[in-house]
Amino acid sequence: VKRPKVPPQPEEEEGEDDDDDEIEVSVGALQWKEGLAQKAAEAFVRQQAATPNLRKLVYGTVVQNEEDDEGEEELGGLFRVSRPEKSKRERADALDCSRFAPDASDDWDQEQMLDSIRDCFVTGTWEGDKD
Amino acid sequence: MANKGLVYEGCNFFRQRLVLSLLSGKKVAIQNIRSKDDNPGLRDFEASFIRLMDKITNGTRIEINQTGTVLSFQPGLLYGGSVEHECNPQRSVGYYLEALLMLAPFMKGPLRAVLKGVTNDQIDPSVDALKASSVPLMKKFGLDGEGLELKIVKRGMPPGGGGEVHFSCPVRRTIRPVQLTDPGKIKRIRGTAYSVRVSPQMANRIVDSARSILNKFIPDIYIYTDHMKGANAGKSPGFGLTLVAETTNGAFLCAELVSSPQGQGDPVLPEDLGRNCAKLLLGEIYRYTRVTGWTVSVGAALSKRGCNGGCVDSTNQSLSLLYMTLGQQDVSKALLGPLSPYTIEFLRHIRDFFQIMFKMETQKHAEDSQKGGDKVLMTCVGAGYTNISKTLK
Repeated sequence: VKRPKVPPQPEEEEGEDDDDDEIEVSVGALQWKEGLAQKAAEAFVRQQAATPNLRKLVYGTVVQNEEDDEGEEELGGLFRVSRPEKSKRERADALDCSRFAPDASDDWDQEQMLDSIRDCFVTGTWEGDKD
Repeated sequence: MANKGLVYEGCNFFRQRLVLSLLSGKKVAIQNIRSKDDNPGLRDFEASFIRLMDKITNGTRIEINQTGTVLSFQPGLLYGGSVEHECNPQRSVGYYLEALLMLAPFMKGPLRAVLKGVTNDQIDPSVDALKASSVPLMKKFGLDGEGLELKIVKRGMPPGGGGEVHFSCPVRRTIRPVQLTDPGKIKRIRGTAYSVRVSPQMANRIVDSARSILNKFIPDIYIYTDHMKGANAGKSPGFGLTLVAETTNGAFLCAELVSSPQGQGDPVLPEDLGRNCAKLLLGEIYRYTRVTGWTVSVGAALSKRGCNGGCVDSTNQSLSLLYMTLGQQDVSKALLGPLSPYTIEFLRHIRDFFQIMFKMETQKHAEDSQKGGDKVLMTCVGAGYTNISKTLK
Protein backbone atom coordinates (compact mmCIF):
# COMPACT_ATOMS: atom_id res chain seq x y z
CA VAL A 1 0.00 0.00 0.00
CA LYS A 2 1.37 3.38 -0.89
CA ARG A 3 1.32 5.69 2.07
CA PRO A 4 1.12 9.30 0.93
CA LYS A 5 2.65 11.97 3.06
CA VAL A 6 0.08 13.89 5.00
CA PRO A 7 0.90 17.38 6.21
CA PRO A 8 1.11 17.26 10.00
CA GLN A 9 -2.09 18.66 11.36
CA PRO A 10 -3.92 18.22 14.61
CA GLU A 11 -5.76 14.93 14.48
CA GLU A 12 -9.30 15.92 15.36
CA GLU A 13 -9.39 18.98 13.18
CA GLU A 14 -8.34 17.08 10.16
CA GLY A 15 -10.91 14.41 10.75
CA GLU A 16 -13.66 16.99 10.80
CA ASP A 17 -12.36 18.70 7.71
CA ASP A 18 -12.39 15.46 5.82
CA ASP A 19 -15.98 14.86 6.72
CA ASP A 20 -17.03 18.33 5.62
CA ASP A 21 -15.25 18.03 2.29
CA GLU A 22 -16.81 14.69 1.69
CA ILE A 23 -20.34 16.02 2.19
CA GLU A 24 -19.85 18.98 -0.10
CA VAL A 25 -18.19 17.05 -2.87
CA SER A 26 -20.34 13.94 -2.83
CA VAL A 27 -22.61 13.46 -5.77
CA GLY A 28 -23.59 9.81 -5.73
CA ALA A 29 -25.01 8.15 -2.66
CA LEU A 30 -22.01 5.86 -2.32
CA GLN A 31 -19.46 8.61 -2.77
CA TRP A 32 -18.20 8.18 0.77
CA LYS A 33 -17.03 4.73 -0.05
CA GLU A 34 -14.50 6.01 -2.52
CA GLY A 35 -10.90 5.87 -1.56
CA LEU A 36 -11.50 4.12 1.72
CA ALA A 37 -8.10 2.50 1.54
CA GLN A 38 -6.57 5.90 0.89
CA LYS A 39 -8.31 7.35 3.91
CA ALA A 40 -7.29 4.45 6.07
CA ALA A 41 -3.71 4.90 4.97
CA GLU A 42 -3.85 8.59 5.81
CA ALA A 43 -5.31 7.89 9.19
CA PHE A 44 -2.56 5.38 9.80
CA VAL A 45 0.18 7.83 8.91
CA ARG A 46 -1.45 10.45 11.10
CA GLN A 47 -1.53 8.03 13.99
CA GLN A 48 2.11 7.30 13.43
CA ALA A 49 3.00 10.95 13.57
CA ALA A 50 1.20 11.19 16.87
CA THR A 51 3.17 8.31 18.40
CA PRO A 52 4.85 9.69 21.46
CA ASN A 53 8.50 9.52 22.14
CA LEU A 54 9.69 5.97 22.61
CA ARG A 55 11.80 6.89 25.59
CA LYS A 56 8.80 8.38 27.28
CA LEU A 57 6.83 5.25 26.61
CA VAL A 58 9.43 3.06 28.19
CA TYR A 59 10.58 5.21 31.07
CA GLY A 60 7.65 7.53 31.52
CA THR A 61 5.64 7.26 34.69
CA VAL A 62 3.07 4.54 34.44
CA VAL A 63 -0.36 5.58 35.54
CA GLN A 64 -1.20 2.88 38.01
CA ASN A 65 -4.77 1.89 38.39
CA GLU A 66 -5.11 1.33 42.12
CA GLU A 67 -8.85 1.17 42.13
CA ASP A 68 -8.98 -2.58 41.92
CA ASP A 69 -9.83 -3.11 45.54
CA GLU A 70 -12.39 -0.36 45.78
CA GLY A 71 -14.77 -1.97 43.37
CA GLU A 72 -15.12 -5.10 45.45
CA GLU A 73 -18.47 -5.99 46.85
CA GLU A 74 -18.84 -7.09 50.39
CA LEU A 75 -21.18 -9.83 51.42
CA GLY A 76 -22.80 -9.20 54.77
CA GLY A 77 -20.00 -6.82 55.65
CA LEU A 78 -17.72 -9.75 56.22
CA PHE A 79 -16.62 -11.42 53.05
CA ARG A 80 -15.25 -9.98 49.91
CA VAL A 81 -16.19 -11.19 46.50
CA SER A 82 -13.05 -12.28 44.73
CA ARG A 83 -13.38 -11.12 41.17
CA PRO A 84 -11.49 -12.37 38.18
CA GLU A 85 -8.31 -10.45 37.50
CA LYS A 86 -8.55 -7.07 35.91
CA SER A 87 -6.26 -5.73 33.25
CA LYS A 88 -3.46 -4.37 35.38
CA ARG A 89 -3.32 -7.31 37.70
CA GLU A 90 -3.56 -9.61 34.75
CA ARG A 91 -0.39 -8.11 33.38
CA ALA A 92 1.36 -8.36 36.71
CA ASP A 93 0.47 -12.03 36.95
CA ALA A 94 0.87 -12.90 33.30
CA LEU A 95 3.12 -15.64 32.02
CA ASP A 96 6.80 -14.81 32.38
CA CYS A 97 7.95 -15.51 28.85
CA SER A 98 10.45 -13.73 26.66
CA ARG A 99 9.16 -15.03 23.36
CA PHE A 100 7.74 -12.34 21.14
CA ALA A 101 4.84 -13.72 19.14
CA PRO A 102 5.22 -12.85 15.48
CA ASP A 103 2.69 -10.94 13.51
CA ALA A 104 0.16 -13.34 12.07
CA SER A 105 -1.26 -10.87 9.58
CA ASP A 106 1.65 -11.14 7.17
CA ASP A 107 0.82 -13.59 4.42
CA TRP A 108 3.97 -15.26 3.17
CA ASP A 109 2.19 -17.02 0.36
CA GLN A 110 2.00 -13.79 -1.60
CA GLU A 111 4.66 -13.10 -4.15
CA GLN A 112 4.58 -9.45 -3.15
CA MET A 113 5.67 -10.25 0.39
CA LEU A 114 8.42 -12.51 -0.82
CA ASP A 115 9.71 -9.80 -3.11
CA SER A 116 9.83 -7.33 -0.27
CA ILE A 117 12.70 -9.12 1.43
CA ARG A 118 14.64 -10.24 -1.62
CA ASP A 119 17.33 -7.63 -1.14
CA CYS A 120 17.99 -8.72 2.41
CA PHE A 121 19.93 -11.69 1.12
CA VAL A 122 23.38 -11.67 -0.41
CA THR A 123 21.70 -12.88 -3.58
CA GLY A 124 19.72 -9.64 -3.85
CA THR A 125 20.90 -6.34 -5.28
CA TRP A 126 23.53 -4.50 -3.29
CA GLU A 127 23.80 -0.83 -2.65
CA GLY A 128 26.20 0.93 -5.02
CA ASP A 129 28.97 1.57 -2.52
CA LYS A 130 29.12 -1.92 -1.09
CA ASP A 131 30.28 -4.79 -3.20
CA MET B 1 11.97 -6.08 57.72
CA ALA B 2 12.97 -2.45 57.82
CA ASN B 3 14.43 -2.53 54.37
CA LYS B 4 12.62 -4.65 51.85
CA GLY B 5 14.67 -3.41 48.93
CA LEU B 6 12.85 -3.09 45.67
CA VAL B 7 9.24 -4.14 45.84
CA TYR B 8 7.31 -5.56 42.91
CA GLU B 9 3.90 -7.08 42.40
CA GLY B 10 2.82 -10.20 40.61
CA CYS B 11 4.58 -13.18 39.14
CA ASN B 12 5.31 -11.74 35.72
CA PHE B 13 8.95 -10.89 34.93
CA PHE B 14 9.94 -13.12 37.81
CA ARG B 15 13.28 -14.17 36.33
CA GLN B 16 14.32 -10.64 35.38
CA ARG B 17 13.85 -9.47 38.91
CA LEU B 18 15.85 -12.23 40.51
CA VAL B 19 18.63 -12.05 37.92
CA LEU B 20 19.01 -8.29 38.25
CA SER B 21 18.87 -8.60 42.01
CA LEU B 22 21.73 -11.10 41.95
CA LEU B 23 23.80 -8.94 39.64
CA SER B 24 23.22 -5.68 41.45
CA GLY B 25 23.23 -7.11 44.97
CA LYS B 26 19.96 -5.37 45.74
CA LYS B 27 17.34 -7.04 47.81
CA VAL B 28 14.04 -7.62 46.11
CA ALA B 29 10.56 -8.41 47.39
CA ILE B 30 7.75 -9.66 45.21
CA GLN B 31 4.24 -9.42 46.58
CA ASN B 32 0.80 -10.54 45.52
CA ILE B 33 2.02 -13.45 43.47
CA ARG B 34 -1.18 -14.78 41.90
CA SER B 35 -2.92 -13.56 45.03
CA LYS B 36 -6.32 -13.55 43.36
CA ASP B 37 -5.83 -16.75 41.46
CA ASP B 38 -7.77 -19.88 42.33
CA ASN B 39 -4.42 -21.50 42.84
CA PRO B 40 -2.43 -18.75 44.55
CA GLY B 41 1.27 -18.41 45.06
CA LEU B 42 4.38 -19.59 43.32
CA ARG B 43 4.15 -22.50 40.90
CA ASP B 44 6.41 -25.50 40.87
CA PHE B 45 8.49 -24.19 37.98
CA GLU B 46 9.15 -20.95 39.82
CA ALA B 47 10.17 -22.86 42.93
CA SER B 48 12.45 -24.90 40.71
CA PHE B 49 13.92 -21.68 39.33
CA ILE B 50 14.54 -20.34 42.82
CA ARG B 51 16.32 -23.57 43.74
CA LEU B 52 18.54 -23.20 40.68
CA MET B 53 19.42 -19.64 41.68
CA ASP B 54 20.22 -20.94 45.14
CA LYS B 55 22.52 -23.60 43.69
CA ILE B 56 24.64 -21.20 41.66
CA THR B 57 25.02 -18.70 44.48
CA ASN B 58 26.41 -18.66 47.95
CA GLY B 59 24.59 -17.04 50.83
CA THR B 60 21.32 -16.23 49.09
CA ARG B 61 18.47 -15.86 51.53
CA ILE B 62 15.01 -16.66 50.30
CA GLU B 63 11.86 -16.27 52.31
CA ILE B 64 8.48 -17.30 51.05
CA ASN B 65 5.29 -16.95 53.03
CA GLN B 66 2.99 -19.85 53.69
CA THR B 67 0.72 -19.36 50.69
CA GLY B 68 3.62 -18.56 48.41
CA THR B 69 2.25 -15.17 47.46
CA VAL B 70 5.14 -13.16 48.93
CA LEU B 71 8.78 -13.73 48.14
CA SER B 72 11.68 -11.97 49.73
CA PHE B 73 15.00 -12.45 48.02
CA GLN B 74 18.33 -11.36 49.41
CA PRO B 75 21.00 -12.07 46.81
CA GLY B 76 24.22 -13.78 47.71
CA LEU B 77 27.47 -14.17 45.85
CA LEU B 78 27.36 -15.60 42.35
CA TYR B 79 29.47 -18.67 42.83
CA GLY B 80 29.24 -20.80 39.71
CA GLY B 81 30.98 -24.14 39.56
CA SER B 82 29.39 -27.45 38.67
CA VAL B 83 25.66 -27.52 39.06
CA GLU B 84 23.12 -30.17 38.23
CA HIS B 85 19.49 -29.25 38.17
CA GLU B 86 16.27 -31.06 37.52
CA CYS B 87 14.17 -28.41 35.77
CA ASN B 88 10.47 -28.63 36.36
CA PRO B 89 8.83 -29.87 33.15
CA GLN B 90 6.09 -27.24 33.32
CA ARG B 91 8.56 -24.97 31.54
CA SER B 92 11.33 -25.94 29.19
CA VAL B 93 15.02 -25.74 29.95
CA GLY B 94 15.09 -22.52 27.92
CA TYR B 95 13.25 -20.78 30.74
CA TYR B 96 16.03 -21.60 33.17
CA LEU B 97 18.82 -21.25 30.65
CA GLU B 98 17.89 -17.71 29.70
CA ALA B 99 18.64 -16.63 33.25
CA LEU B 100 21.87 -18.61 33.36
CA LEU B 101 23.05 -16.95 30.15
CA MET B 102 22.59 -13.60 31.83
CA LEU B 103 24.38 -14.58 35.02
CA ALA B 104 27.12 -16.94 33.86
CA PRO B 105 29.82 -14.41 32.87
CA PHE B 106 29.67 -12.76 36.29
CA MET B 107 30.32 -15.79 38.47
CA LYS B 108 33.25 -16.39 40.77
CA GLY B 109 34.26 -19.49 38.86
CA PRO B 110 33.22 -20.79 35.44
CA LEU B 111 29.75 -22.27 35.43
CA ARG B 112 29.20 -25.82 34.28
CA ALA B 113 25.54 -26.60 34.46
CA VAL B 114 23.69 -29.80 33.65
CA LEU B 115 20.03 -29.07 33.17
CA LYS B 116 17.49 -31.85 32.87
CA GLY B 117 13.94 -31.51 31.69
CA VAL B 118 12.06 -30.41 28.58
CA THR B 119 14.43 -29.14 25.90
CA ASN B 120 11.87 -27.93 23.36
CA ASP B 121 8.38 -26.68 24.00
CA GLN B 122 5.94 -24.22 22.51
CA ILE B 123 6.28 -21.56 25.20
CA ASP B 124 9.92 -20.72 25.74
CA PRO B 125 12.83 -20.32 23.36
CA SER B 126 14.23 -23.80 22.89
CA VAL B 127 17.74 -24.85 23.69
CA ASP B 128 18.41 -25.13 19.95
CA ALA B 129 17.38 -21.52 19.42
CA LEU B 130 19.49 -20.28 22.30
CA LYS B 131 22.43 -22.26 21.02
CA ALA B 132 22.02 -20.88 17.52
CA SER B 133 21.45 -17.23 18.34
CA SER B 134 22.45 -16.41 21.93
CA VAL B 135 25.82 -18.10 21.96
CA PRO B 136 27.11 -16.19 18.89
CA LEU B 137 25.77 -13.00 20.46
CA MET B 138 27.70 -13.69 23.67
CA LYS B 139 30.86 -14.05 21.60
CA LYS B 140 30.39 -10.52 20.37
CA PHE B 141 30.62 -9.32 23.94
CA GLY B 142 33.98 -11.01 24.40
CA LEU B 143 32.69 -14.21 25.92
CA ASP B 144 34.48 -16.55 23.59
CA GLY B 145 37.02 -19.24 23.96
CA GLU B 146 36.67 -22.94 24.41
CA GLY B 147 34.82 -22.51 27.68
CA LEU B 148 31.57 -21.39 26.07
CA GLU B 149 29.50 -24.38 25.14
CA LEU B 150 25.88 -25.38 24.96
CA LYS B 151 25.25 -29.01 24.17
CA ILE B 152 22.06 -31.02 23.87
CA VAL B 153 22.87 -34.47 25.13
CA LYS B 154 19.34 -35.79 25.34
CA ARG B 155 16.18 -34.36 23.92
CA GLY B 156 13.05 -34.18 26.01
CA MET B 157 9.70 -33.16 24.64
CA PRO B 158 6.74 -32.08 26.75
CA PRO B 159 4.94 -33.30 28.76
CA GLY B 160 7.35 -35.98 29.90
CA GLY B 161 10.66 -34.25 29.43
CA GLY B 162 13.71 -36.33 30.13
CA GLY B 163 16.16 -34.21 28.14
CA GLU B 164 19.60 -33.14 29.21
CA VAL B 165 21.57 -30.04 28.33
CA HIS B 166 25.14 -29.16 29.21
CA PHE B 167 26.03 -25.52 29.46
CA SER B 168 29.40 -24.10 30.32
CA CYS B 169 30.50 -20.50 30.24
CA PRO B 170 33.76 -18.75 31.04
CA VAL B 171 33.87 -15.84 33.49
CA ARG B 172 35.00 -12.37 32.59
CA ARG B 173 36.19 -9.50 34.69
CA THR B 174 34.61 -6.99 32.38
CA ILE B 175 32.33 -7.16 29.39
CA ARG B 176 33.39 -5.61 26.13
CA PRO B 177 31.32 -2.72 24.81
CA VAL B 178 29.78 -3.40 21.41
CA GLN B 179 28.63 -1.58 18.32
CA LEU B 180 26.00 -3.79 16.74
CA THR B 181 24.64 -1.33 14.25
CA ASP B 182 25.03 -2.83 10.81
CA PRO B 183 23.37 -6.20 10.33
CA GLY B 184 24.63 -6.87 6.82
CA LYS B 185 22.90 -9.25 4.44
CA ILE B 186 21.87 -12.81 4.98
CA LYS B 187 24.44 -15.18 3.61
CA ARG B 188 23.24 -18.57 4.76
CA ILE B 189 20.44 -20.38 6.49
CA ARG B 190 21.04 -23.27 8.82
CA GLY B 191 18.65 -25.30 10.84
CA THR B 192 17.97 -28.40 12.85
CA ALA B 193 14.96 -30.62 12.28
CA TYR B 194 14.63 -32.98 15.19
CA SER B 195 12.38 -35.88 15.96
CA VAL B 196 12.17 -38.15 18.96
CA ARG B 197 10.04 -41.22 19.51
CA VAL B 198 8.42 -40.77 16.10
CA SER B 199 9.44 -41.98 12.67
CA PRO B 200 12.84 -40.56 11.63
CA GLN B 201 11.18 -39.75 8.35
CA MET B 202 9.37 -36.87 10.07
CA ALA B 203 12.54 -34.80 10.17
CA ASN B 204 13.13 -35.33 6.45
CA ARG B 205 9.58 -34.27 5.64
CA ILE B 206 10.09 -31.09 7.67
CA VAL B 207 13.35 -30.33 5.87
CA ASP B 208 11.82 -30.77 2.42
CA SER B 209 8.90 -28.47 3.08
CA ALA B 210 11.03 -25.78 4.74
CA ARG B 211 13.52 -25.85 1.89
CA SER B 212 10.77 -25.50 -0.68
CA ILE B 213 10.10 -22.00 0.63
CA LEU B 214 13.57 -20.85 1.56
CA ASN B 215 15.23 -22.01 -1.65
CA LYS B 216 13.54 -19.15 -3.50
CA PHE B 217 15.87 -16.76 -1.73
CA ILE B 218 19.23 -18.32 -1.19
CA PRO B 219 20.88 -21.56 -2.23
CA ASP B 220 23.09 -21.87 0.84
CA ILE B 221 20.69 -23.74 3.09
CA TYR B 222 21.51 -26.71 5.21
CA ILE B 223 19.08 -28.19 7.65
CA TYR B 224 20.45 -30.95 9.82
CA THR B 225 18.20 -33.80 10.76
CA ASP B 226 18.61 -34.91 14.31
CA HIS B 227 16.87 -38.09 15.28
CA MET B 228 17.62 -39.23 18.78
CA LYS B 229 16.93 -42.75 19.92
CA GLY B 230 16.58 -44.80 23.05
CA ALA B 231 17.69 -43.15 26.26
CA ASN B 232 18.55 -39.93 24.41
CA ALA B 233 15.02 -39.44 23.16
CA GLY B 234 13.40 -38.44 26.42
CA LYS B 235 10.03 -39.59 27.59
CA SER B 236 7.55 -38.11 25.11
CA PRO B 237 7.28 -38.12 21.33
CA GLY B 238 7.55 -34.98 19.27
CA PHE B 239 9.34 -33.16 16.48
CA GLY B 240 10.22 -29.63 15.53
CA LEU B 241 12.39 -27.29 13.53
CA THR B 242 14.75 -24.45 14.39
CA LEU B 243 15.94 -22.19 11.59
CA VAL B 244 18.73 -19.62 11.77
CA ALA B 245 19.64 -17.00 9.23
CA GLU B 246 23.20 -15.73 9.47
CA THR B 247 24.20 -12.38 8.04
CA THR B 248 27.51 -11.23 6.63
CA ASN B 249 28.14 -9.26 9.81
CA GLY B 250 27.47 -12.15 12.12
CA ALA B 251 23.94 -11.39 13.24
CA PHE B 252 21.77 -14.42 13.81
CA LEU B 253 18.01 -14.48 13.35
CA CYS B 254 16.14 -17.40 14.68
CA ALA B 255 12.69 -18.91 14.19
CA GLU B 256 11.31 -22.15 15.51
CA LEU B 257 8.24 -24.32 15.75
CA VAL B 258 7.52 -27.43 17.77
CA SER B 259 4.80 -30.03 17.41
CA SER B 260 1.99 -30.03 19.95
CA PRO B 261 2.66 -32.07 23.06
CA GLN B 262 1.32 -35.59 23.03
CA GLY B 263 -2.37 -35.62 23.79
CA GLN B 264 -2.71 -31.83 23.81
CA GLY B 265 -3.74 -29.49 21.06
CA ASP B 266 -4.23 -30.27 17.39
CA PRO B 267 -1.89 -32.71 15.75
CA VAL B 268 0.58 -31.03 13.41
CA LEU B 269 1.74 -32.36 10.07
CA PRO B 270 5.50 -32.17 9.60
CA GLU B 271 5.01 -30.53 6.19
CA ASP B 272 2.92 -27.76 7.68
CA LEU B 273 5.36 -27.30 10.51
CA GLY B 274 8.27 -26.96 8.11
CA ARG B 275 6.46 -24.49 5.89
CA ASN B 276 5.15 -22.41 8.79
CA CYS B 277 8.53 -22.29 10.43
CA ALA B 278 10.11 -21.12 7.16
CA LYS B 279 7.47 -18.39 7.00
CA LEU B 280 8.21 -17.39 10.56
CA LEU B 281 11.84 -16.97 9.60
CA LEU B 282 10.85 -14.85 6.61
CA GLY B 283 8.73 -12.77 8.97
CA GLU B 284 11.66 -12.28 11.26
CA ILE B 285 13.86 -11.31 8.33
CA TYR B 286 11.23 -8.96 6.97
CA ARG B 287 10.95 -7.00 10.19
CA TYR B 288 14.62 -7.22 10.77
CA THR B 289 15.55 -5.60 7.51
CA ARG B 290 12.90 -2.95 7.41
CA VAL B 291 14.56 0.30 8.29
CA THR B 292 11.88 2.96 8.37
CA GLY B 293 10.56 4.57 11.47
CA TRP B 294 8.12 2.85 13.75
CA THR B 295 5.23 1.90 11.57
CA VAL B 296 3.49 0.53 14.60
CA SER B 297 2.76 2.62 17.60
CA VAL B 298 4.32 1.16 20.70
CA GLY B 299 0.91 0.81 22.23
CA ALA B 300 -0.02 -1.59 19.49
CA ALA B 301 3.37 -3.24 19.73
CA LEU B 302 2.77 -3.84 23.39
CA SER B 303 -0.42 -5.64 22.76
CA LYS B 304 -0.24 -7.61 19.58
CA ARG B 305 2.33 -6.89 16.97
CA GLY B 306 5.57 -8.75 17.15
CA CYS B 307 8.16 -6.97 15.09
CA ASN B 308 11.54 -8.47 15.61
CA GLY B 309 14.95 -8.06 14.18
CA GLY B 310 17.76 -5.60 13.98
CA CYS B 311 21.20 -6.84 14.75
CA VAL B 312 19.79 -8.85 17.58
CA ASP B 313 16.80 -11.10 17.18
CA SER B 314 13.77 -10.88 19.41
CA THR B 315 14.66 -13.56 21.94
CA ASN B 316 18.01 -11.97 22.66
CA GLN B 317 16.95 -8.37 23.08
CA SER B 318 17.10 -8.53 26.86
CA LEU B 319 20.36 -10.44 26.94
CA SER B 320 22.14 -7.94 24.71
CA LEU B 321 20.75 -4.98 26.66
CA LEU B 322 21.92 -6.52 29.94
CA TYR B 323 25.46 -7.06 28.67
CA MET B 324 25.49 -3.50 27.35
CA THR B 325 24.43 -2.23 30.76
CA LEU B 326 27.09 -4.21 32.55
CA GLY B 327 29.85 -3.32 30.10
CA GLN B 328 32.82 -1.10 30.71
CA GLN B 329 32.22 2.60 31.04
CA ASP B 330 32.04 3.09 27.34
CA VAL B 331 29.34 3.61 24.78
CA SER B 332 27.57 0.53 23.49
CA LYS B 333 25.14 0.54 20.61
CA ALA B 334 22.79 -2.10 19.32
CA LEU B 335 20.18 -2.03 16.63
CA LEU B 336 17.03 -3.88 17.62
CA GLY B 337 13.71 -4.52 16.03
CA PRO B 338 10.76 -2.98 17.81
CA LEU B 339 10.98 -3.79 21.48
CA SER B 340 8.98 -6.66 22.84
CA PRO B 341 6.82 -6.04 25.92
CA TYR B 342 9.20 -8.25 27.84
CA THR B 343 12.14 -6.09 26.81
CA ILE B 344 10.34 -2.88 27.66
CA GLU B 345 9.78 -4.17 31.16
CA PHE B 346 13.38 -5.29 31.30
CA LEU B 347 14.52 -1.76 30.49
CA ARG B 348 12.44 -0.46 33.37
CA HIS B 349 13.95 -3.02 35.67
CA ILE B 350 17.47 -2.09 34.55
CA ARG B 351 16.66 1.47 35.49
CA ASP B 352 15.45 0.33 38.92
CA PHE B 353 18.47 -1.82 39.66
CA PHE B 354 21.33 -0.06 37.89
CA GLN B 355 20.05 3.49 37.32
CA ILE B 356 20.94 3.17 33.65
CA MET B 357 18.67 4.51 30.99
CA PHE B 358 19.07 3.84 27.33
CA LYS B 359 18.93 6.36 24.57
CA MET B 360 16.44 5.16 21.99
CA GLU B 361 16.40 6.40 18.45
CA THR B 362 13.94 5.14 15.93
CA GLN B 363 15.56 4.75 12.58
CA LYS B 364 13.61 6.12 9.68
CA HIS B 365 13.98 4.89 6.21
CA ALA B 366 13.34 6.41 2.82
CA GLU B 367 9.67 6.02 2.04
CA ASP B 368 10.05 4.80 -1.50
CA SER B 369 12.10 1.77 -0.48
CA GLN B 370 10.33 -1.56 -0.57
CA LYS B 371 12.07 -2.69 2.57
CA GLY B 372 9.78 -0.57 4.76
CA GLY B 373 10.06 -1.26 8.46
CA ASP B 374 11.36 -0.12 11.75
CA LYS B 375 14.25 -0.49 14.10
CA VAL B 376 15.44 1.08 17.28
CA LEU B 377 19.01 2.08 17.95
CA MET B 378 19.70 1.52 21.62
CA THR B 379 22.62 3.40 23.09
CA CYS B 380 23.94 3.39 26.61
CA VAL B 381 27.07 3.96 28.62
CA GLY B 382 27.96 0.82 30.52
CA ALA B 383 27.80 0.79 34.29
CA GLY B 384 31.46 -0.15 34.47
CA TYR B 385 30.51 -3.32 36.25
CA THR B 386 33.50 -5.36 37.34
CA ASN B 387 33.28 -8.93 38.42
CA ILE B 388 35.23 -8.60 41.64
CA SER B 389 34.54 -12.13 42.76
CA LYS B 390 36.30 -13.66 39.76
CA THR B 391 39.22 -15.71 40.97
CA LEU B 392 42.59 -14.55 39.75
CA LYS B 393 44.95 -16.99 38.19
